[in-house]
Amino acid sequence: MKAFGSGKVWRVTLCTCLIMAGWATIALGGSKDTPLKGISPEKVADYVHSIIEADRTVYTTHVVNRMKEKGIVQTDEHWEQQNALPLPAQFLQRAGRLVAERGSGIRYRLISLWPIYRRNAPATEFEREGLEAVTANPDMPHRGVVRSGKKEYFQTIYPDRAVTKACVDCHNTHPLSPKRDFALDNVMGGIVITIPLE
Amino acid sequence: MPSAQMMTTKGKEGLRRKLIVSMLLVGAVPLAVGLAMAFFQGTKEIREVSGTSFEALATETARKIDLILSDELSKISQITTDVNIIQALEVRRDQFADYGDEALQALIAQETKEWTDEDPQLVQRLMKNDLVTTLQRYDSGTYVDQGHPIPVITRSATRGLFITDVAGRLIATLNSNVPYAHSHEPWWQGAFKKGVGQLYIANVAFNEQLKIYTFTLSLPIMDSLRYQVVGVLHRIYDAKEFFSSHIDTIRFGETGHVMLIDGNGMVLSCPVLPTGTRLSDPQIIPLVTLMQNGWTPAPSDGHGGVRSSIIGFAPLPTTSRITQNSTGMGWHMFVWQSSDELFAPIEHLFTWVAAFGLLSITLLAGLGYLAASRIVTPIRRLQEAAKLIGHGTWQEPIIIKTGDEIEELADEVNRMNTQLAATFAGLESEVETKSQEVQYLQESTAQILDSVPDPVIMLDQEKQVVYLNRASKEAFHLTDTGQLKGKSLFSILETDSMTQQKIGKEFQSIGASSTGETPEMTKALNGKAGGLRDPLQQVTGQAAASDRQEIRVNGQIYRYQWFGVRARPGQNQEVGLVFRDVTEESRLQDRLIKEEKLASIGVLSAGIGHELNNPLVGVIGLGEAIQDEENPSQIKEYAHSIVQHGRRMASIIRDFTGQATSQVKAQSSEVNLNEQLQHALNGVKETYDAVSMDIQTDYQDLPAVMGNPQELSQAFVNILTNAVQALGDQGILKVSTTVREHKIQVTIEDNGQGVPQHLLPKIFDPFFTTKQQGEGAGLGLTIARRIIQKYEGQIQVMSKEGAGTTCQITFPLSNHHPSGKNGGTS
Repeated sequence: MKAFGSGKVWRVTLCTCLIMAGWATIALGGSKDTPLKGISPEKVADYVHSIIEADRTVYTTHVVNRMKEKGIVQTDEHWEQQNALPLPAQFLQRAGRLVAERGSGIRYRLISLWPIYRRNAPATEFEREGLEAVTANPDMPHRGVVRSGKKEYFQTIYPDRAVTKACVDCHNTHPLSPKRDFALDNVMGGIVITIPLE
Repeated sequence: MPSAQMMTTKGKEGLRRKLIVSMLLVGAVPLAVGLAMAFFQGTKEIREVSGTSFEALATETARKIDLILSDELSKISQITTDVNIIQALEVRRDQFADYGDEALQALIAQETKEWTDEDPQLVQRLMKNDLVTTLQRYDSGTYVDQGHPIPVITRSATRGLFITDVAGRLIATLNSNVPYAHSHEPWWQGAFKKGVGQLYIANVAFNEQLKIYTFTLSLPIMDSLRYQVVGVLHRIYDAKEFFSSHIDTIRFGETGHVMLIDGNGMVLSCPVLPTGTRLSDPQIIPLVTLMQNGWTPAPSDGHGGVRSSIIGFAPLPTTSRITQNSTGMGWHMFVWQSSDELFAPIEHLFTWVAAFGLLSITLLAGLGYLAASRIVTPIRRLQEAAKLIGHGTWQEPIIIKTGDEIEELADEVNRMNTQLAATFAGLESEVETKSQEVQYLQESTAQILDSVPDPVIMLDQEKQVVYLNRASKEAFHLTDTGQLKGKSLFSILETDSMTQQKIGKEFQSIGASSTGETPEMTKALNGKAGGLRDPLQQVTGQAAASDRQEIRVNGQIYRYQWFGVRARPGQNQEVGLVFRDVTEESRLQDRLIKEEKLASIGVLSAGIGHELNNPLVGVIGLGEAIQDEENPSQIKEYAHSIVQHGRRMASIIRDFTGQATSQVKAQSSEVNLNEQLQHALNGVKETYDAVSMDIQTDYQDLPAVMGNPQELSQAFVNILTNAVQALGDQGILKVSTTVREHKIQVTIEDNGQGVPQHLLPKIFDPFFTTKQQGEGAGLGLTIARRIIQKYEGQIQVMSKEGAGTTCQITFPLSNHHPSGKNGGTS
């Protein structure tokens, strides 16, 4: 039963990622073949962010919650070993890795000022400032151009709120969590979307 | 008596043996069952306890190794976040943007060759640059937190530390014995992961350059934005040295130890097996490489032993997740101890318990023997006493003081003995009285028998004399009667051997009879057989004596009679013989028989004369007729009749001599019974001039019969003659033929005087007749039956005195051939 649930989830996850990757390919590829004048990187980032958010919401609402309610399969941090569903945050990160591996250029990560794992901490000062900014003002994404060597990238950091109780409970109880006083609707971190400017 | 003693001894030994065996069974069976249960339960519990302990040890060791590896990864990852390294790698990445693919491949090929050739400039560039310095600082612990120095073991186990750029080229290394280009290596591709980056732990493998088994950690180095991989950090470890200090030190008992294996059963570290070898038994690999903790009984130990063993196992939780993402298999701890050592305590315990068990059984046997002896000895005394009482021997009171039921039993036996003594005292006088009565009866019986004038002899089953009365002694001239008892019957009865044989058979038949009464006895009791006797019966003197139950002793003839005597209880039956002197009576009877024989010969002669006289008269009459007859044809007819009468006379003579059968049978032909019957009837009518007799014939169609017509006619003549003679001048004679129930049936019926019922069985006997002398020889029906039976027919005579006689003759159909119709009614 669990195996069936896991397989089903995987199909949902894969479809979602493919949709996102396909969208990104169309959006960015289209701009290369037939330049869309007047569409700024900010808009592209907003579009991508809305898709990311929507996909995660669909996954959380129509997969995770339903599976839990029906007692078919639970979520677990070690979902691969426990034959469970990935947590919504893991879903987002795994999807982000898939997008990155496809080589389209656009990438996104889930980062936090209070990450459970250090790899999810802000990588740059810009990301740190962005997280602080969106934590202070969740309605205003933090945007800017950053450099890596000679390469320039447009980054936008969107606030990531605790939309379900499960998110709050997990971060407040995880032994590696540095902050344990999250409440529902708090900004727990941010989604950073990076678009190369080439 | 010896057999009785033997039985008694056996009984005593049996009781003692049973008691000892019972005690042994009561003690030994529960002991054996308990021992077996303790052994199996102990084995099971040891297995479970050991398995659980092994699982716990495997789990703890796995966590420990996992933490060590995680810590190692954590420390190495600090290198991957070093800003200088990242910036240097970003520069390298940006430089590649200026190269085309072909130019880049050419550059890599050229530098690979230079590195292989140990080009000083390239070696200098790769081993003496700022990045190398940074690596050396990290490797030496300069950049590591004071509280978390890099362990000495980790440093000493490191066999290589180098960095590659985004093209997989070597850009900094602490060791020269590493290849230059790595983009084709699985570890590099796994860590680079299409620019996304992923931690990669490679399996233990034999490093050809280092000549050791190594494992590697490969970490992607992300750019400053953590956007993409700009290089890969690679660290090579001597697997044995890295793990052995943590694993080889964990030993318990003499053989118990911990080992680290990968998912293929390859040994990463083991105090017994060398690194790089595989478990000896592939069957146990899937049992112990599960992704959860546990223990299992395994068919072997994986170390070359074939004995089943208990193995605890646990995966390295974090490391296995990484290795599974990297190579598809986990790393697992494996805890094992030799079965010999593992089960040694329970086997030791079993040995001790078995030894104690044997000791207990021995004690039980000894104590059982003592207890059985204490029980059996008084019982034996009681048994001896009971035996003596049974034999009527006076027994002194038995003194048994066991204080239990046996003592009570002894008291009861004493009481019984006393009561028996009192009872026997009364019985003895009664027995004496009865004995006197028996003696009186014996004497009176002897006197009675002695007073009987006929000899009486009593015989036992062996035909030996047990009693003789006085008449026997006088009759058989016996004097020393004391010595005669026990002798054979024929030693006192001097008879011929044939008589002895006859008497012996009678004695055996009496012995076989339960009542002792035999047909011979009955016959003797009934006396001489009554009724009519055949006057011409061949009777010898000895045969006559045999039929009369007579023997000849000392010139005297005795008629004897057997009688049985009821046997005494427990003794064999006796048989008695009573003799009666019939010497005079027998002589008179023999004389009478002789006279009867003479008379019979006369009758026979008359009968033969009569049989021959009839045709002879006809011959004479026909002869006279011929003398007066002138008609030649008539003369010829008379001559023909004379020939027929002559043949009949010859046939009668042949019948008397009994020599005709075979000759006549050879002359068989198809015979019409109706014709022969009518022919015979005509002859009888002619002979007896039965003019006034009412003769009714009813002939049905008959199939032919195979036979001699003259014989069959003779048979019908004889039967019809009897009928006509029975009727006299008046009466009705009915002759009919028919086929009924697959048989030809001939019926000759008269309403004459009939035959008395008691004579019916004799009417077919030769020369038996009820007619007056000269009327018949008593051979008519004898001859008729012989002829009929000769042709497989049957004759049956039914008669009622004063009402008439019916004679039915039947022939089977199967022996006949069909013939034309020939019949009628007159």
